[in-house]
Amino acid sequence: MRLRVPLLLAAAVVAALAVVAAGCGGGSEKEGAVGEGKKATSQVLRMAWGAEPPSLDPGLATDTTSSNVLLNIMDPLVRLGPDLQPVPALAESWDVDGKVVTFHLRDDGRWTNGDPVTANDFEYSWKRTLDPKLAADYAYQLYGIVGAEAYNNAKPAQAAALRDKVGVKALDDRTLQVTLTSAQPWFVQQAAHHSFLAVHEPTVERYGAKWTEPQNIVTDGPFKLADWKHDASITLVKNADWRNADRVALDRVEGRIIVDGTTRVQAFEAGEVDALDGGGLPPADMPRLKQLPEYEKYPALGTYYYGFNLKNVPDLNQRRAMAFAIDRQSIIDNVAQADQIPATGMVPKGMPGFETIEQNFLPPRADLTKAKEFMAKADDPKRTITLFYNDAPGHKEIAVAVQAMWNELGIDATIKAQEFAQYLEFLGPPPNDAVYVYRLGWIADYGDPMNFLELWTSKSGNNNSRFASPAYDRLIEKARNTANDEQRYEIYRQAEAMLTGPQGELPIAPIYWYTYTNLERESVMDSFQINPLDQFDLSKVVIKEA
Amino acid sequence: MAAYIIRRLVWTVPVVLLVIFMTFMLMKQIEGNPFRQTERAVPAAVQMNLERKFSLDKPWYVQYANYVKGVATGDLGPSLVLRDRTVNDVVKEQFPRSIELGLLAFGWAVLLGVPAGVLAALKPNSRFDYGAMFFSNVGFALPNFLVATLLIYFVSVKWGLLPTSGWTTWEHKILPSFTLGLVPMAYFARLVRGTMLETLQQDYVRTAKAKGLRWRRIVTVHVLRNSLIPVVTAAAPLLGYIITGSFIVENIFAVPGIGRYYVTAVSARDYSVVMGLTVLLSIIVIAANLVVDILYTILDPRTREART
Repeated sequence: MRLRVPLLLAAAVVAALAVVAAGCGGGSEKEGAVGEGKKATSQVLRMAWGAEPPSLDPGLATDTTSSNVLLNIMDPLVRLGPDLQPVPALAESWDVDGKVVTFHLRDDGRWTNGDPVTANDFEYSWKRTLDPKLAADYAYQLYGIVGAEAYNNAKPAQAAALRDKVGVKALDDRTLQVTLTSAQPWFVQQAAHHSFLAVHEPTVERYGAKWTEPQNIVTDGPFKLADWKHDASITLVKNADWRNADRVALDRVEGRIIVDGTTRVQAFEAGEVDALDGGGLPPADMPRLKQLPEYEKYPALGTYYYGFNLKNVPDLNQRRAMAFAIDRQSIIDNVAQADQIPATGMVPKGMPGFETIEQNFLPPRADLTKAKEFMAKADDPKRTITLFYNDAPGHKEIAVAVQAMWNELGIDATIKAQEFAQYLEFLGPPPNDAVYVYRLGWIADYGDPMNFLELWTSKSGNNNSRFASPAYDRLIEKARNTANDEQRYEIYRQAEAMLTGPQGELPIAPIYWYTYTNLERESVMDSFQINPLDQFDLSKVVIKEA
Repeated sequence: MAAYIIRRLVWTVPVVLLVIFMTFMLMKQIEGNPFRQTERAVPAAVQMNLERKFSLDKPWYVQYANYVKGVATGDLGPSLVLRDRTVNDVVKEQFPRSIELGLLAFGWAVLLGVPAGVLAALKPNSRFDYGAMFFSNVGFALPNFLVATLLIYFVSVKWGLLPTSGWTTWEHKILPSFTLGLVPMAYFARLVRGTMLETLQQDYVRTAKAKGLRWRRIVTVHVLRNSLIPVVTAAAPLLGYIITGSFIVENIFAVPGIGRYYVTAVSARDYSVVMGLTVLLSIIVIAANLVVDILYTILDPRTREART
């Protein structure tokens, strides 16, 4: 009798396990390799997005995921060509006359409810983004427009009057006139940024904050937002009424939101998704992933750098020594491992004008001989320093490597991690006095060196180094008003020289220029492309047959 | 009994108020700007507009009073980071999934942990006992993220038996719930084994045996029932653990639940989400404790008198 009870319970355990086993069917098979196949019959792309979009309102979105969803469901005035120059999209042409830019819109832009897309939609949208009541984080992307900053900064009583002074005006349904504060030759390509998209006024006014939900949203791009299960999935379907719909191959884009990088890769390897969104691969897996035929990398407009707090590391020769002792290539090969490019300046390779601007003073590989010479010339060098970074994956390993490299100069660096939000407060500007060296990065908003070089003006909120030079500020101001590309690049060259050139102050030691790494099934690899601003255009993706 | 329950319910109010106050003060103490999610500096005008929009420009006591008023009317406020959604939206959509995950995990724990503990206790120092306790120790010691990664690697990627992640069909739910259930499972197994062994030594068990009662009846009615009291005691805090501790599991298996928000909201300084979830979880833990106390009185008549 005694044995019966255990047997009974054991049976229950076995039964429970059987339930699990019964569920273990139907695993999906990996897709086979793809040759030069023709277009596949099924045009459904399964994607993994790296985050839940915090907002699909062009006025409120600030992150890459929201931006990429938006740029595929909306129709920007311009898109960026391969060389980052603007190419016509909803605007078929534009005129630039000094500070006045006039966009001419196509007549076949349509909202998904059938309304035509007009210049008024853009005027309404841009002013809405600047409305202090909307409190858009990225309102400042539009500050180049006359009156924009004043309106965004307005007290409630003056808001209405200042709204009318914003330099954006629909001259008629198809003509949008923009008046800028200075020449800003990059403005037209800046209009490819999601902050410059139009929204459908009646929908926004009717649903308020809920207008972006799939049952309410009205869009005007190649895809429609069919479904959005928060934190789980985003489904896009082809917009058959879009002006260029016959050129769009994909019928559906089934997106799953997978935040964890390792899980994203595993979902790809298990054949559940066909492409990731370029949001980065886990550093620890890079050596293996780079061997896969599905691995793809794209150059990015972004700079990973170490900044110096000039108050604590005041000697230029010491900063030169430290910048020369960093073996950038070795950090890329052995630590970062995502095929980044050794950064020898603030302005990244691939940026228009880079060939003019680059300095070639800082070495890609460590130059210890020169570093030691500089160190010998340093007046009262600081040999006990701190190196701060935020505790996101990958930064510590680089800090440890750099710590060892600086050790060669007799510098003892203590590395310290901080949680990101706290870290940003800590860096100021001005930075906390405990900071000698800090890590930061900058990813471009638009493809002009201005976006990188204006960081180092003395009043910039992103200049955490205490570098302040009136001459530098004047150069940046001059560039802002120089429409001619070659002349402007020449000014940028002088500015870059003041940062990282042979006579530069070296408020920063750039480490590498970013890349975007991705996994893409070979059936879409040719057509799925991520541009240097981390944007991808799904309307160009074609799934090929195996 | 009714009076006891009502008294307990009334006590929830000051406890929740205290929780709100402490969370509010702690959130105010940590540095960081909820409106700066990247390295990009926020222009002063933008910062001011945002603070005005979310009433962060008001003195702290006004903010606190508004918040308490909101909670009392069931409005947990807007999220500072997810601009299209309110905390209520997040809770409404995502909390049920976390509850489901938690209950499934709890199911695993009871279904596998309790029988394993019972079997081990009935045959102490046997091979099964050693085996069960070995696995219980392992289940206790291995961190969730390791178990999750190993399960995905072998079960999903290598063998292709189950999907890697997501929360749509029941196949998606097996691995995450099993992973989350592992610690309570191990805990239950050890707890049940220990209390069973103790109960088996009790006089009334010997009496029952002496009376010639069938062994199965002794075990199921007398031993098991009395051994389950500690399990029920442990269940309430475990339920809290399962729901708050699901951060890692939800993150790795891409379960669109609320657990991962709890942690990401802290690092994003999304004050209203942190506050809302804390309030919600404290209510759940309080409610779970209440249920446990009521269950006590059913399982153990001796506690009835003392508590009513």
